Amino acid sequence: MLFENNDYDFDILNLAGFNFNRPQHSYYEYEKQNNGLVSTEEGFLKGNMWKNEYAPYKNMPPVRLKPTCEREALLFKIMEIDFAVNDLNLYLDLHPEDMEMYECFKKYTEECIELKDQYARMYGPLTLDETQGNTYDWMKNPWPWDKTGGSMYV
Amino acid sequence: MFKYMKTLNYPVNIKKKDLKMAKYLHTQFGGSNSELAAALRYFSQKFSMPDEKGKSLLNDIATEELGHVEMIATMIKQLTEGASVEEMKSAGLGDMYSEHGMGVYPSNASGVPFTTGYFAVTGDPIADISEDMAAEQKARAVYENLIELATDEDVIGPLLFLRQREIIHFNRFKELYKYYKKKGY
Repeated sequence: MLFENNDYDFDILNLAGFNFNRPQHSYYEYEKQNNGLVSTEEGFLKGNMWKNEYAPYKNMPPVRLKPTCEREALLFKIMEIDFAVNDLNLYLDLHPEDMEMYECFKKYTEECIELKDQYARMYGPLTLDETQGNTYDWMKNPWPWDKTGGSMYV
Repeated sequence: MFKYMKTLNYPVNIKKKDLKMAKYLHTQFGGSNSELAAALRYFSQKFSMPDEKGKSLLNDIATEELGHVEMIATMIKQLTEGASVEEMKSAGLGDMYSEHGMGVYPSNASGVPFTTGYFAVTGDPIADISEDMAAEQKARAVYENLIELATDEDVIGPLLFLRQREIIHFNRFKELYKYYKKKGY
């Protein structure tokens, strides 16, 4: 079977050797609270930030992501935080009065901006308005559907 | 206005060619319960939502669904990478190849082109949101069929993620439905 291991370690994206700077101000503080949210790592892999809404198919665990280099690890981290922002966004559309969740949303949004800025400076822009380097590199490969030598971002 | 971000919603990095799986996955690109149908359904219905909760939720889920369209198309693209015409033929993709070459075209798994006939816009929020709830459940069921058909972890990972998103969207639509019923729509 593909999924013999059910003991799942969600802290997989901060692998040894991948030492990009994750801003420290948000997630420890927020994820420790009993606010119904899972960590952004767990949420991203499960496709859901809410403790009580996860409904796995036949108890299949999420598939482990394996970043192959620092660039890919940083990209996955951006996707992870961006995902948390998106899931809170849908909830807040229906519950704008939930200030605790809105505070989480703002922290994740802020963190996402910082990580994207870090990525743009090191590897190039992910959004058009980050295209501020010495040359016009928005159109440069890779695009998200590309893969080269078994990994998209190497 | 839409602005593009140069990432997928969830990583897709398929290393093994699998033309049969590529054929099956078309159902979620351009089939009746596809991500494309979902994106266009909510995008179109948002214009007749009666208040800010409905407008924002349909707008924001439509946006996410467009990201899912991109994920599915990426999976098809990567699964067919480097395939020969002979391989396409023997996987049942000869018909698709004759019209689309190695391009990725929004059709269902049998090659039937996408049509907006797959969804409705009634102008009635209760009717539209009821359809949205059903659409999310149908897409969840299709993802379970696809997971059963898949053999590669690189394919199953994104499918599990997308399936869970259907569950979350269903829950949000259901909340909105209850709220509108209570308001007397």
